Amino acid sequence: MPAVSVTLALIIFTAGTIAGSLGALLGLGGGVFLVPFLNLVMGFPFTVAAAISLTTVIATSSTVSAGRAGKQLINMRLGMLLEVATAAGSFLGGVTAQFVSQSVLQRLFGLVAAIVALIMLSRLRRRNVILDPNADPGLLGGRYHEEESGCTVTYHVKRLPLAVVASFLAGNVSSLLGIGGGIIKVPVLNAWCGIPLRAAAATIIYYGRGQLVPALAGAACLGVQLGSWGGMKFGAAASSKWLKILMAGVLFIVSAMMFMRGGR
Amino acid sequence: MTPKQPPAGTSFKMERVVGIVLRSGVIASTACLAAGLVLALVVGDGAVAAFLLNTGILVLLATPVARVIVSTMEYVNERDWRFAALTGIVLLELIASAVAALVFNRKL
Repeated sequence: MPAVSVTLALIIFTAGTIAGSLGALLGLGGGVFLVPFLNLVMGFPFTVAAAISLTTVIATSSTVSAGRAGKQLINMRLGMLLEVATAAGSFLGGVTAQFVSQSVLQRLFGLVAAIVALIMLSRLRRRNVILDPNADPGLLGGRYHEEESGCTVTYHVKRLPLAVVASFLAGNVSSLLGIGGGIIKVPVLNAWCGIPLRAAAATIIYYGRGQLVPALAGAACLGVQLGSWGGMKFGAAASSKWLKILMAGVLFIVSAMMFMRGGR
Repeated sequence: MTPKQPPAGTSFKMERVVGIVLRSGVIASTACLAAGLVLALVVGDGAVAAFLLNTGILVLLATPVARVIVSTMEYVNERDWRFAALTGIVLLELIASAVAALVFNRKL
């Protein structure tokens, strides 16, 4: 690990800012851009890149959840139920990452980056909520008041077992690869507060293993927080359709590069 | 039309407490990380800078854990045993990662 110089800290801070604002604009967290930058461009070991990225995931998603708390956007009960699966997935991901070789992780990242790009293209304009304020949300469903449209939005939990499996996979894959929000998107989880936990268990393990370099993670965290703040503040005005198409293209390139690097 | 829903009062209160816990955790860790980084870059690597950076990371890692502890306490308080058990399991999973972290650390 190189000594942390001013230049290195500034590079990582800037990368974090860009990744954070892209993540906020696209609604998927910056990890999917930050990890390949740290691993492929800066040459950090994959697990070190993942650990830095997961730290930023905890910071941003905690901020987002805190902002949503009290606005009844969060479905605490459903969140807690799914967190049992998510935390288990994250724990397993953190442990597995210690035993899997870097090239396997890179190929897996290549695969997931391509899937994320495809999902992004398929959801250029889509919402996962029912726009009928009188629908019965059921025990684990919920409703929240949406400022944008001014109505009360109700959502159901469809296929709970599927949501549990998806949460486990989301926790596992995101902890293994260092990517955070909304990668494996369970529809109702748009308004869910479980994302910090998706990363927490594994990050604790990375930290214990010494793969989490505090100075680098700190620089990345500050950058990502600045970037996602800016993205959320100014992003609402901009149409994200073309950005999504552009970034899907970037992700396909990242995917190809990961496969090339991992194939050696 | 009023659909069946769990009592709004308590869970609303819990949401607010959770929000406060998350926000103060992030603010405290960000302050430590920023101070540690500035110190490390301006003064050079020192014990104080390293301490601040490590504290920042640890506070950040503890934030989601604290959130789970708060939720567990609230569910116990509400005598909602099913969800108290669920949050308890999440807490155990987090403790398991801390144990795993210690085990891996010793192996290094």
